[in-house]
Amino acid sequence: MEPARVDQTAFPEAATVVEQTPPAARGRSRPFTLRGLVPFGYLSPTVLLILVLMVIPIAMVVSYSFKDNVIVEQNPVFTGLANYTKVLTDPNFLVAIKNTFIFITLSTIAHLVLGLAFAMMLNTPLLSGVTKAIFRIVYILPWLFTIAVIAVIWRLMLDPSGVVNYVLTTVGGLQHGVNWLSDPNTALWALTFINIWSGYPFFMISLLAGLQGISSDLYEAAAVDGASAIQQFRHVTIPQLRPVLISMAVLDLIWTSQQFALIWLTTGGGPLNVTEMLSTFTYKQAFSNYEFATASAAAVIVLLITMILAFFYVRQQRER
Amino acid sequence: MTAGGAGLQGRLKRLLAVTTAAAMVGFAAVGCGGSSGDSSSTSGGPVTLEFAQWWAPELPAGSFDKLISDFTAQNPNIKVKLLSAPYASTKQQLVSGAASRTLPDVVGLDGAWVSDFAKQGAITDLSKLMSDAKYDASQLASQVQVKGKTYMIPVVNFVYPLFVNKDLLTKAGVTTAPSTRTQFLDAAKKVSALGGNVKGWALPLDTAVPNGIQNDVMSWLWASGGSMLTQDGKPNLTSPQVKSTVEYVKSLNDAGVIAPGALTMKEQDKVEKFTTGQVGMVIDSLAHINLIKKNSPKLNFTVAPVPAEDSYTGKRGIPYASWGIGIAESSKHKAEAFKLVQYLMSQQTNAQLSTLANGFPGNKTAEPDFSKSDPLFKTAFDIYKKGYPANEFVGLPKSEELMRSFDEQLQLVLTGKQSVDDALNKTQESWSSVL
Amino acid sequence: MLTRKRRRLGVKIGVLAGLCIGAAFAGLPVVWMLSTSFKTNGEVFQVPPRLITKNFSFDAYRQILGSASQLRFFLNSYIVALSVTALTLLVAILAAYGFSRYNFPLKKSINAAIVSVQAVPPITLVIPYFGLVVALGLYNTYPGLILTHTVFTLPYAIIMTTAYFNTLPRELDESVKVDGASSWTALWRILVPISVPGLIAVGVYTFMISWNEYLFALTLTRTDDMRTVPIGIQLLMGQHSYEWNQIMAMSILGSIPVLVLFLIFQRRFIGGLTSGAVKA
Repeated sequence: MEPARVDQTAFPEAATVVEQTPPAARGRSRPFTLRGLVPFGYLSPTVLLILVLMVIPIAMVVSYSFKDNVIVEQNPVFTGLANYTKVLTDPNFLVAIKNTFIFITLSTIAHLVLGLAFAMMLNTPLLSGVTKAIFRIVYILPWLFTIAVIAVIWRLMLDPSGVVNYVLTTVGGLQHGVNWLSDPNTALWALTFINIWSGYPFFMISLLAGLQGISSDLYEAAAVDGASAIQQFRHVTIPQLRPVLISMAVLDLIWTSQQFALIWLTTGGGPLNVTEMLSTFTYKQAFSNYEFATASAAAVIVLLITMILAFFYVRQQRER
Repeated sequence: MTAGGAGLQGRLKRLLAVTTAAAMVGFAAVGCGGSSGDSSSTSGGPVTLEFAQWWAPELPAGSFDKLISDFTAQNPNIKVKLLSAPYASTKQQLVSGAASRTLPDVVGLDGAWVSDFAKQGAITDLSKLMSDAKYDASQLASQVQVKGKTYMIPVVNFVYPLFVNKDLLTKAGVTTAPSTRTQFLDAAKKVSALGGNVKGWALPLDTAVPNGIQNDVMSWLWASGGSMLTQDGKPNLTSPQVKSTVEYVKSLNDAGVIAPGALTMKEQDKVEKFTTGQVGMVIDSLAHINLIKKNSPKLNFTVAPVPAEDSYTGKRGIPYASWGIGIAESSKHKAEAFKLVQYLMSQQTNAQLSTLANGFPGNKTAEPDFSKSDPLFKTAFDIYKKGYPANEFVGLPKSEELMRSFDEQLQLVLTGKQSVDDALNKTQESWSSVL
Repeated sequence: MLTRKRRRLGVKIGVLAGLCIGAAFAGLPVVWMLSTSFKTNGEVFQVPPRLITKNFSFDAYRQILGSASQLRFFLNSYIVALSVTALTLLVAILAAYGFSRYNFPLKKSINAAIVSVQAVPPITLVIPYFGLVVALGLYNTYPGLILTHTVFTLPYAIIMTTAYFNTLPRELDESVKVDGASSWTALWRILVPISVPGLIAVGVYTFMISWNEYLFALTLTRTDDMRTVPIGIQLLMGQHSYEWNQIMAMSILGSIPVLVLFLIFQRRFIGGLTSGAVKA
């Protein structure tokens, strides 16, 4: 029995959308014929949904960002790049960029490393299917909970008088408990750790599917050539997984940069702004300063940054 | 969607320009017509009012629904739909709703939101509705006004006295609740010396919801009769009194009597720490008496005035928070909505509600029923009568942001990264740009 | 031979040890969650902490399951998440078919646009989105929430489905078309049935996102009869106190449907291995 074969085809091939133009279609597709309209018919529901519910709000945000304080002020007038200057010279915004960078890079690297390590252990032929199935369920547990709960359970455990400090001070040999989330020296790392915990399962599943998609012939051939386990990993596993690894990494950078609820519900950007991220900065601008225009400007900047990541993602797809 | 913005500006302009009652009526009709053709509000069938508040979850289960169903029984042509959510969720929804002109007819308000909502034209001028209904406003204990017009009526007021865990203090050898800052520091030190996880005081400084500045920091200032503003409402943070307050908080921190984790502690955590006996004293809302007793029936605690400066003999300002009520500018049923407000402010209902909530009535003539409430409630009422209610954040614009910038500077002070003077100068600067 | 066997055993023990360490990392917080759900609120910060306290009880579960309004949150979550899954799959299948089997002008641009859409930080859209949903008359309705979640799950669903379709040889659908059937028939009669494993993966991904979504579920609903489980959990965190045991109990209960879905998904996939073989 091999129940470990999860969605082996769905995830790893995620990167091959565009450039695989089917050869058969090439000769026949002539523009401006009825047949030429068929693909647009298939795409129309998607285009309609995204146009109405995505492009319009985005356009609104962009237009807010060029105006004097919208919604609150009586006369929003066009102010050019003033909001952008204001945001880009705000030291808190620059801190938020730095923190976001640290947060998303560390999270993504850890997600990849942990995801790959766990996926490889779960893919081992040495253990029985049932054992692996049980471990697989334990390993996806963090994925099952809504982010509000993840924030609460970690706040509870990382409380200065919570269970983590109790264990560390009684058996861990620590002299004093650590104020994980309220000490400026540890807060960002603690928060990143929580995010790593909550986000790795998706990677693990995708990479597991990727691993199972690698033909065993490749490993056998390598073994015949006398390759050690480490060499097999370096010369077979990694190159085969490369496309999956890269596209998952880019997606994760994008998704993690959007993380809001977790930060808001654990540290709120504090202490001393050490966990202030682009998302919390924007939220504060809008919901407690009522500065919808500067919030929009910050949002557009974030949008541009993530667009760059998205661009790399699309290019990665094309290169395949 | 810019049309929505334009309509809003138009309405705001009118709000400022129009003064006569007749014109106001016309304006209300135009304002509503902007979004979806006005329907005449008084003709025909029953009217349904939506009432968003965070009060129901904080009252004994079902008791608020009971009060409201009494109202609908008296007014068969009005139905009330309660939209209940905790404070933070209510706020998030009201901010979004205000921005897009879709507030529920009647909204629960915090004094800190009023200025911004009024400026956005999201909540309506109650002075006008009061005069239309020939309402006797003299029975109201207070009204929250922006530019001379009332936008919020406090329904129930909650004072923030000092909560004292009697068992912990006795164990530490402190016999009476501290009344001066020196006594408090001393008591806090003794409680902290008990060891374990126990500390003398808790200070929630989480910047996500920076209310701790109002409730747990400025309360020290107000208790000694101080003010953070000048007479004409400008920030006055560099005054000796504010400085001594911040220095005092710093001295508590330096003495190690503040529960760990203060920099990201939330109000819930503070209550939690007191309830579980991890801190000896907290400044907290009277509304929490029921909750603390429910979660920890054996806790032996009392309430006392917030300690003042050693030499201070005047009346003590007591911080308070209100359950305020307001009516949406976009409501099509303002007259009916005001009936609901009147009902909640009526002598009998207001007394009932205050008793249920352990708060003080917003109607001067209403008397809470002390026989049915907790004895501590009576103690607090006596403290309240000896002092005066003080909350300088009520009615200030962007008050949450003011608290947050103060909070960030205070955090720098407490972590030793900045001197008290520098912090206050910087806060003064950032407040000056708002006020 | 003996050393090789021994080494194999050593590796096996090593892998098992690694798996156990990983399982502790993944599972201990959940164990603590479970433990907290059986405590009274007063015992949550008990010193020293206990995994099982003397007041061990199922009260929190009883309170959640005995409350009509809490159960309503679950019903809402099912309605929303299942509708989102169905709608996302439908729209994504159509779009993926277009991308996978046709070549047309602007294909690259449209694809790039769809990919970029998931780069939009949702937090930045809350205010305009709120206005839009109100203007469409969808505020505080199921369709409002369903469409919103669909727009956010759609991009990745299209990417995954297109990738799956690309692994299936064109000869499959061409063979039907030779018999005179339309591309529509080829899609639903041939492509979709053999893509079931891939579609299940897409469906589970979509369901999970929708089931756990928090920000828009909070902003776009105003009454309890429309709110979903994550908001219901948040409502238990009042301004003044946490109902620790109920929060945890509701989280555990809320995770069960997702867990069950994952279990079914794994099993169904074995049945779908044949289509995996098509790829190879």
